[in-house]
Amino acid sequence: MASDPTPGFEVGPQLESGSTVRAPPVWAFLTGPYALFLVFLLIVPLANVALFSIHRYSPTRVALPELTFDNYRKIADLYYLRLFARTLRLGLITTLICALLGYPLAYWLARTRPRLQAVGLFLLIMPLMVSAVIRVFGWIVILGRKGLVNEALAALGLEPVRLLYTDTAVVIGLVNVFLPFMALPLMVAIERIPSNLEEAAQNLGANWHQMFRRIILPLSLPGLISGSLLVYSISISAFVTPALMGNSRERMAAQQIYDEVLVSFNWPSASSLALTLVLLTLALAFSALYVTRRAGRLERGR
Amino acid sequence: MRGRAPWLILPVVGAVYIGLLAPLAVVVGVSFGPSAAFAFPPTGFTLHWFAEFFASDAYVRSFFRVSLVVGLLAGAIATLFGTAAAVGLVRFRFAGREAIETFFLAPLLVPEILLAAALYLLYARLAVQASIWTLLCGHLVICTPYVVRSVIAGLVGMDPRLEEAAMSLGATRVQAFFKVTRPLLRSSLLSGAIFAFIISFSDINLALFLSGPQSTNLPVHIFSQIQWQGDPTIAAASTLQILIIGLLILIVQRIFRLRLLV
Amino acid sequence: MADGIELEVEGLTRRYSPQVTVGPISFEVRAGEFFSLLGPSGCGKTTTLRCIAGFETLNAGVIRLHGERLDDKPPHRRDVGLVFQNYALFPHLSVFDNVAFGLKLRRVAKAEIIERVGRILRLVDLSALADRFPAQLSGGQQQRVAIARSLVLEPSILMFDEPLSNLDFKLRIQMRDELKSLQRRLGKTTIYVTHDQTEALALSDRIAVLSHGHIEQIGTPDEIYERPTTSFVAEFIGSSNLLPAMIVERRGREVIVETERGLRLRSAGDDDAAADGAEVAVLIRPERIQIKASGAEGTPGHNRFPARIVAVTYLGDDLRLDLELAGSQVLQGALKNAGAARDWAPAQLVDILVDPADLRLLRR
Repeated sequence: MASDPTPGFEVGPQLESGSTVRAPPVWAFLTGPYALFLVFLLIVPLANVALFSIHRYSPTRVALPELTFDNYRKIADLYYLRLFARTLRLGLITTLICALLGYPLAYWLARTRPRLQAVGLFLLIMPLMVSAVIRVFGWIVILGRKGLVNEALAALGLEPVRLLYTDTAVVIGLVNVFLPFMALPLMVAIERIPSNLEEAAQNLGANWHQMFRRIILPLSLPGLISGSLLVYSISISAFVTPALMGNSRERMAAQQIYDEVLVSFNWPSASSLALTLVLLTLALAFSALYVTRRAGRLERGR
Repeated sequence: MRGRAPWLILPVVGAVYIGLLAPLAVVVGVSFGPSAAFAFPPTGFTLHWFAEFFASDAYVRSFFRVSLVVGLLAGAIATLFGTAAAVGLVRFRFAGREAIETFFLAPLLVPEILLAAALYLLYARLAVQASIWTLLCGHLVICTPYVVRSVIAGLVGMDPRLEEAAMSLGATRVQAFFKVTRPLLRSSLLSGAIFAFIISFSDINLALFLSGPQSTNLPVHIFSQIQWQGDPTIAAASTLQILIIGLLILIVQRIFRLRLLV
Repeated sequence: MADGIELEVEGLTRRYSPQVTVGPISFEVRAGEFFSLLGPSGCGKTTTLRCIAGFETLNAGVIRLHGERLDDKPPHRRDVGLVFQNYALFPHLSVFDNVAFGLKLRRVAKAEIIERVGRILRLVDLSALADRFPAQLSGGQQQRVAIARSLVLEPSILMFDEPLSNLDFKLRIQMRDELKSLQRRLGKTTIYVTHDQTEALALSDRIAVLSHGHIEQIGTPDEIYERPTTSFVAEFIGSSNLLPAMIVERRGREVIVETERGLRLRSAGDDDAAADGAEVAVLIRPERIQIKASGAEGTPGHNRFPARIVAVTYLGDDLRLDLELAGSQVLQGALKNAGAARDWAPAQLVDILVDPADLRLLRR
């Protein structure tokens, strides 16, 4: 066994020459339980979904033992195309708005005094951890027909506006829920930019906007990309927000999946939808990785 | 603020925070107000809706017998599994270690809707009834990665030579771990545990698929109440959740670095 | 405003907390001069620099450049260049783009940018590396890029914040000499912040020594070394022996002092530092101590007293001797490691001779 330069690490008990019995290494005992658990409760269910997705749907027996790609072919139907188009569109809008709002937030968090940063982080992360239902509920009260916005408009003598159960409401809800996922990676990226770079730029004549555009923006690009990727992935697979703030006819993909699993019991179709969603997310992740690698070349040696 | 950012930044940041916190503020406000029509700002102060909450069987059961129980169990078991896994990953070298680390954190990358549906379908295929246990298993999948991540961060930040020093003074490997490493890990361990609890306690996506009639957790119950046009008891239930989670996040922030967990 | 004064700092004060204040600090920098701010960490030299650059606001005081107020301008509109301690090169831009950064901001024509950047890069000997990125450069090369980046904008004043502290010893000496010759060639008014007194002495036309947020003394390197006005300056610059003593007699221009241990010394007495007080500190630089065998011939008129060598420290080019006088007072002497000096050994009894002109009397 090669001697390990780092003390404290073992690769198993030392063998005496000639011995053929070896006790299982300690790491196997430590990581084994969770690994097994994940296999049964992550890998197996996902494989099961994949299996369902290539079986034929039957209203009486849910899934016939007949393999078919019809479930995937169905996605080319207008209904499903529209569904995915809307899902991707709303996800894109959400990501863009999160990026626009997230940047000032991230910059402030990155550069402010530690005490303020702690408060800011708390106020950012706390809503994240509270269940999405609750935040959505708050928005329903604000945007509802008799909600805050309309009460304010009425007080000004204006007509009530139908905000809830529209795409606008869904985007507001998604931005509200997922903004921290954009702001946090951005904040970390900006923190890594030494503040003397900002001072150097100013000393060379850059006002704040020029400094931001030429120094902060290019150097925080990896953070922007990972934040955008994260927000986009989770917003296209969001359920609660569009379910409560959107309407049933103009739905997002997750609502359709829910329906097909728990209402119409068309599990093969639901499975193919879910996997398609994942594939879209993966495709996005890989293209983002590619872009990040190219952007990383800009940083040279970071 | 270091550096001279344009004054415009502060109002924008303020507006964003107001937008982020407005729904929570509204919910809390409504929960203390007398109006049954969700009026905000509240016209008075009353604990009526909280009383309604505790008087309602459905709410109480979902909170105490499901959310709390599952949350505590998930927190405890996730901490056990996750700590062991993290220690195995950081303190040992073996082939495929990085791949296994990615595998352990993979649940964080899987969209919850997919995981929820997948678990539901698996349980259906195995003809397993929905219960607290099926819900617990689902939660363990999404909670444990947080513990793993937290403990890894704690271990990586710790000098491995401390354990060595203990062993040179006569401790065995196991003793060194329990007497030296574990106390130092306390903050990252506790933070991971708290986070695991929070994730389970506030989960809605998995619970929507995995809840049965006896095992509806609080968020799911709130969800159905919203759909059925319930009264501001919803707000009271929500406020309770906000308070509990807010308190827990504050604790985590005090004892560990909050940002590492998210 | 007097001719030749480029920068005026008057009463600069920066209050961090009730206990921690820098200033009031006042000094002038003349055109073409190499002016150093020297002092230990925390003395306020970097704060002063940052106030001039505009990264800290003054709580009181005024800064004027060419007679015009500087401290009310934002940092990006001040005509001062700053070379940062860690160079602060933009990692995502090439050497060329780093140097061209300020020019691009001023919308200088592309052809002119190429010409000016090229010229500056030749000046600092980096033309071959114009397309490289900062991470690919050595410390010395990075520093030259930082200098070029500020110089190309032709600022009125160039400022340096401890630029050599990250370099290893030999490189530091080399860069120091390059900096000096560059400054001489360009005649650029320079303000240089450092904690290294050797650097300050070697580079500067004038030095301001700072301690605890205020200026102890401003003078040429010679003035600072030979005629320090306070014991802080005496101890911070070079090595020193400081003996507490009392003035006992004045004979014309000579001053006679007696140390606490009863040693009587004659000082040539052209210090006004000890004009009034009877209590002084006598400064004797180690290299001004002459060591002779007991009873050997020496210059008449020099202070002479016996001592015993306690220790000899071998430093390669120097020898440091610890010399014990009557009354257990220990003096440090310094000799070049050459000739008869190499024979000195501990326990030997010797005579110490000090020229009265080499004694400085400082206020206590």
